[in-house]
Amino acid sequence: MAASGSGGAGRADNGYGSQQPRRRKGPGALATTYLVIYNVVMTAGWLVIAVGIVRAYLTKGSYHSLYYSIEKPLKFFQTGALLEILHCAFGIVPSSVVLTAFQVMSRVFLTWAVTHSVKEVQNEDSVLLFVVAWTITEIIRYSFYTFSLLNHLPYLIKWARYTLFIVLYPMGVSGELLTIYAALPFVRQAGLYSISLPNKYNFSFDYYTFLILVMISYIPSKYTIMLRFCVKTVYAKLTENPSD
Amino acid sequence: MSGFCPSLRISVLWVLGGLRFNIVEILDAKTRDKLCFLDKVEPNATIAEIKNLFTKSHPQWYPARQSLRLDPKGKSLKDEDVLQNLPVGTTATLYFRDLGAQISWVTVFLTEYAGPLLIYLLFYFRVPFIYGPKYDFTSSKHSVVHLACICHSFHYVKRLLETIFVHRFSHGTMPLRNIFKNCTYYWGFAAWMAYYINHPLYTPPTYGDEQVKLALIIFLFCQLGNFSIHIALRNLRPAGSKTRKIPYPTKNPFTWLFLLVSCPNYTYEVGSWIGFAIMTQCLPVALFSLVGFIQMTIWAKGKHRSYLKEFRDYPPLRSPIVPFLL
Repeated sequence: MAASGSGGAGRADNGYGSQQPRRRKGPGALATTYLVIYNVVMTAGWLVIAVGIVRAYLTKGSYHSLYYSIEKPLKFFQTGALLEILHCAFGIVPSSVVLTAFQVMSRVFLTWAVTHSVKEVQNEDSVLLFVVAWTITEIIRYSFYTFSLLNHLPYLIKWARYTLFIVLYPMGVSGELLTIYAALPFVRQAGLYSISLPNKYNFSFDYYTFLILVMISYIPSKYTIMLRFCVKTVYAKLTENPSD
Repeated sequence: MSGFCPSLRISVLWVLGGLRFNIVEILDAKTRDKLCFLDKVEPNATIAEIKNLFTKSHPQWYPARQSLRLDPKGKSLKDEDVLQNLPVGTTATLYFRDLGAQISWVTVFLTEYAGPLLIYLLFYFRVPFIYGPKYDFTSSKHSVVHLACICHSFHYVKRLLETIFVHRFSHGTMPLRNIFKNCTYYWGFAAWMAYYINHPLYTPPTYGDEQVKLALIIFLFCQLGNFSIHIALRNLRPAGSKTRKIPYPTKNPFTWLFLLVSCPNYTYEVGSWIGFAIMTQCLPVALFSLVGFIQMTIWAKGKHRSYLKEFRDYPPLRSPIVPFLL
């Protein structure tokens, strides 16, 4: 689950974590316009997903199996976030390409290589858990960047971003881990994305083992991301201007 | 020459029988703390000698881990630079940065090459706990597997011998953490490739002996080529010196690739691994070749750029690693 993203216009808090020196100038007028449009579209997209979840819940009367109602916009807007890697690569957003790529790919992996690919987990409640976490996080994040680019950030958005993260991030990570765990038996059974010996390219890959390694890697990586964001939060609070 | 720390801040010009001495003060590049004050430094002292003096007062910073520069954010001064040739007055202020624990290039090369040599053989001889008890210490029935072992081993023995007898390194050391990074890369890939090539369920190449023969020719040709370039580069630089010259083709036809490419050693290296990939028809080998190619292209582009910067008359026809293309 991504903690932060691109779209910031060179403010102290930015992107997926910036290692670049502050002396770089912000994006030009054209780039800023594009970024504002991008962030507005993404905010709208995730709002659509939020509304979709709520409507589906009210219609069905239960919170199970709500994935199907928002499957398409979820795939579309989460995959669209790949553009953020390009934003960093082209320098219009002052974040690290590697960190951004890592976090976006992690989301895209969960959307396509787990939830989409293993149909049997789509009914799981863990899916709702991470989808809700992602939805709220992204609405706040993209509106944060929109307002930042327009140099008018309401305190509420800033507060929401730094405070709700404490709950939303662990929620998302839990949902993701539980979903991957739920997918394991089906992957094993179907031999999904796996190739075994003998074959003429003398190569083998076991997706089941790979997923287990991914789950293990969550421990250091997600912990580090959480820690980074907490440090950024403290920094933001310390440099807060009371008139903001 | 003498130097001692801590000391008095006296900027005095010593004139001793016509011989002037310089004063050198060394500050921390980040904190600007005064670390060392050396007086009575001879003007023809080299940076290397100053580094040795600095080590006397700060023994934990041996010369190899010192970076001394004229400007805190500037380039490191070279060991051969002479004090009086630098743009400093009689009192020279140098800024120090700690490069971190260092390890010699020779040590790194020997370790990172000995690993694959040994690891591949463990898989080749099918030592226990790799393939399952019924295959322990058995031998593959495919001749290409034996040939692959010979080629792989030959390649790394060649590299070890070149490290000891051929290469002349311009830098003595590199940061210590590089050895962990490099060994993970070499040892990891060696194990991954060796696992499949020596596997009991290994499938020999689709086009059989023809494919293996062609691949072997490519491999040997490129091994010879790579070796020829290493010898040519060695001969460019006299023993103990760090001079840099433009490499040119010699009488050895393998070196004629210098006409088209700045780093033909890398070109031949990629060629060797492509040959090995065709020989074994093993996807991990192809992936290793690809990753190696990407890394060597980055190095070749860097080397090409520094050749262009240093030599006005650098041959324009040359590309970094692939003739005309890259």
